[in-house]
Amino acid sequence: MKQILTIALREITRLRRRFSGGASPLTVVILLGALALNAYAFRDLAVLGSGLYRIGVSGDAPALQDARFAPLAVEVARGRALVDRYALDAHIDGDDVYARRDDKSLYALGALKKYLEKQELARIRSTFEMARAFPLRVEINFLDPAPNPGSPAPAEPPIAPTTTAAPASDAALTAQLKKIEDEGRLPEFRIDHTTDKEIIIPSLMTPPAPFAQVIVAFLYIMPMTFISIFFTSSFMDEKINRRLTLLLSAPITPLQIIIGKMLPYAIFAVIATAGIAFSTRAPIPLALAIFAPTALFIFAIYLMVPLFYRTFKDTTFISMLATTLTTAYLIFPAMFTGINDLAYMSPLTLAVKMYRGETFGLREYLFPAAPMVLIFGISLYAGTRLLNEEFLMGYRPITRKLADAIFLLLDQSRPYLSVALMSFLVIPIVYVAQLILLAIGTNLPMSFMLAGALIAAATIEEIAKSMGIAALIEARVVTSTRQVLALAFLSALGFLVGEKLLLLVSVTLVSETMLSAALFNTGFVLVPLIAHFIFTSIVGVLNARFRLRYPFAVIVAVIAHALYNLVIAGGLR
Amino acid sequence: MSGWIALIKRELRAVLRERTILIAIVIQLFIASFSSALLIGLLSLYDPDSVGVYARLNVGIGFVGAPNHSLIGLMRARGIRVAPFASLNDAQNAFQRGAIGALVVAPPERAAPVEMQVYLPRAEAQSAMILMVLQDPLKRYENVLREQRGIAVRYDDLRGLPPTTFEYLYSIILPALMFFPAFVAGSLVVDSLSEEIEHNTLETLLAAPVSLHAIVGAKIAAAILVAVAQCVAWLTLLRLNRIEIQNFALVLILATIIAGMVAVASAFVAIVFKDRERSQFVYSLMVLVGASASYLFDVSPIKTLTRLAIGDYFTSALNVAVFALTLGALGIVLILGIRRAARA
Repeated sequence: MKQILTIALREITRLRRRFSGGASPLTVVILLGALALNAYAFRDLAVLGSGLYRIGVSGDAPALQDARFAPLAVEVARGRALVDRYALDAHIDGDDVYARRDDKSLYALGALKKYLEKQELARIRSTFEMARAFPLRVEINFLDPAPNPGSPAPAEPPIAPTTTAAPASDAALTAQLKKIEDEGRLPEFRIDHTTDKEIIIPSLMTPPAPFAQVIVAFLYIMPMTFISIFFTSSFMDEKINRRLTLLLSAPITPLQIIIGKMLPYAIFAVIATAGIAFSTRAPIPLALAIFAPTALFIFAIYLMVPLFYRTFKDTTFISMLATTLTTAYLIFPAMFTGINDLAYMSPLTLAVKMYRGETFGLREYLFPAAPMVLIFGISLYAGTRLLNEEFLMGYRPITRKLADAIFLLLDQSRPYLSVALMSFLVIPIVYVAQLILLAIGTNLPMSFMLAGALIAAATIEEIAKSMGIAALIEARVVTSTRQVLALAFLSALGFLVGEKLLLLVSVTLVSETMLSAALFNTGFVLVPLIAHFIFTSIVGVLNARFRLRYPFAVIVAVIAHALYNLVIAGGLR
Repeated sequence: MSGWIALIKRELRAVLRERTILIAIVIQLFIASFSSALLIGLLSLYDPDSVGVYARLNVGIGFVGAPNHSLIGLMRARGIRVAPFASLNDAQNAFQRGAIGALVVAPPERAAPVEMQVYLPRAEAQSAMILMVLQDPLKRYENVLREQRGIAVRYDDLRGLPPTTFEYLYSIILPALMFFPAFVAGSLVVDSLSEEIEHNTLETLLAAPVSLHAIVGAKIAAAILVAVAQCVAWLTLLRLNRIEIQNFALVLILATIIAGMVAVASAFVAIVFKDRERSQFVYSLMVLVGASASYLFDVSPIKTLTRLAIGDYFTSALNVAVFALTLGALGIVLILGIRRAARA
């Protein structure tokens, strides 16, 4: 503990020295400016297509207060002439809208239609009395599907036209109108299962796209990502100044060094999270619980960057890639909160729920959090094994470095146990990678998505299972085919046990999609075990016995695996 | 001059050798494909017409009410399968059997406010989808009722194209593809300069008969060349995808100028801060500020690029010249800055 604190203090001193003197005021000014401007830019999210359409306006047309429209006040005849000369995209004269028949003009018309519909609704609302302005109210009720096809339906209260008198829906309408006036936008329709009935007004509802909440939730991630620049630099500094050997010769373990260097940033992350929660009036303990695994996940990724970089440009681009992928992984699913249950793969979804005042259970919490914490654990372990001068200093191709890293992670005196454990422990990484694929894949055309996702998933799995064996073969720790087969079996076993454990957590949440069934390999235990064993053996034997280079050996196994997946998916259809 | 060109070649070789630029290209491809996946997903909520969600969602709606009710026609017009039922019990049974996904119960239209009931399955995701599909017919029906009650709804008959894809393509994807290379160029300059400074190789280089100006200039020029190559590749790819880009040359020139501005600014940052850690930090913040600030002004490069690409009548080379002048000014500041740094 004392050593960890010493390292933490050393890290703080390093940062203070870096940012003392002339640079610090400038940095602070830029930082504050950045935050203020960002807050301003994101104040309203109408940045899409700013100034895209040129619209001529005459007469008493509604004011075009939307960043997409660049209005121009002109006389009617001249406005129409300008539309015909392709200078304007459309012209509004009171109730009349004039446009051309080409795409550009029609897009403008489409955008105008949506905007004017809203303006018209506001006019109707303010001109007519409520019963006439909103003559339709829709009461939403929920039905349970039959529990078992064939079995008699449970004694449910019969559906009968409820005799709710007008006042009930009037009250709902008044509440919705008030909400519009308070917040300046349409209410989202939300499927709220705590109450049984809900009254909606068709023209007043918008789809439940949680843009604003996702942006707020993303505010938590930004400081963590930014601070990671320093965390990464800390290791790079040691490397550039060649102090690592010195540090490692002291009575201090690599784990203590990593934790010590991480500590100041972890404290910063906690403070930042609490601060953001406080200023956005969210419950602080809940926000901390939601974002702690995310912070660990981000640290895990940025711990890997300095271990693998060779030049400064490497660091920048590997970090950039890591940031892009994590951002996508965090934001994309959360955009579909309440629409698709796969949204729960991102912790931001939980934050969105938090801001909406909705509840979630332990299972929903663990679904995104557990893999992140596990990845952190693996990254920490990898860090302790790789944090040595010889590995850090070598300038070799990145694939070579990865192979060396895998070899270093294994305990060469116990190859069998190591390989089984490695296959077991990479499950969270495999899982997160496959979830990313799934998230992206669900938006492609069905047949294309299925083929692409199956091949990609098979590739990830085959590499995960065989990389340890390949490293041992290369280092000539194993040589005989029998050894390779034994390793392949243990690797398959470790992988399968991990997979099944994972399934326990996730199956109820993602089982809805047919694709996830194929990806996560539901089915009997024996068949997948044999399948995993065969595919991994293919890679191992081809690589060890027939001297086929590793990437090609993997390709052969992937083809076999993808075909197998196709059969499984076909069987489920 | 030949010495300077040798310096540029040296930089470009380093970029190619490290293959890091490949990662940058992967990132851009990922951003482009990923954000279009996101767009399609969100479009199915906001603008369902443009992705044809109705065609895909195969859910039958049970209808209990007058057989010639106008809502039936409105739903069918949107491609929804409507099954009329004589009584609620029949409809409920059909729901239990799984023959229909939801029910609509429509009372007579005479009532002062018409109170309709919709029965949805309890599963959250499913009911949200069905409600989204029902929204448009319900809105149209609401307007029918308004007309019956003597309220004329204006602009009800406008027929345009769903604009979201168009807006997204020209105001998000194209600017992202044209300006991300600029961001990459800045990063390259910061890394390349700070690496020379931190590893003390800059002094070795200065021992040769080249000035600090030439070295920095070469790094900037190499970064801009890399950015232009990327922009040309993206524009070609967009063209191959049949996405029309007007004012092709001006779009490319604007992207180059922006890459130049970012590269010059990043060189300035690297010279002032010297180490990578602070330079990258300040540079990232600068990009963030720059990107946000550009939204505030009417001369935003994003807006200009968008307008050039869609062939806006009022946007021309003159708008691009504004950025060229800014680049010139930045260049002068950098030259003065280097002179001071060299003296120090």
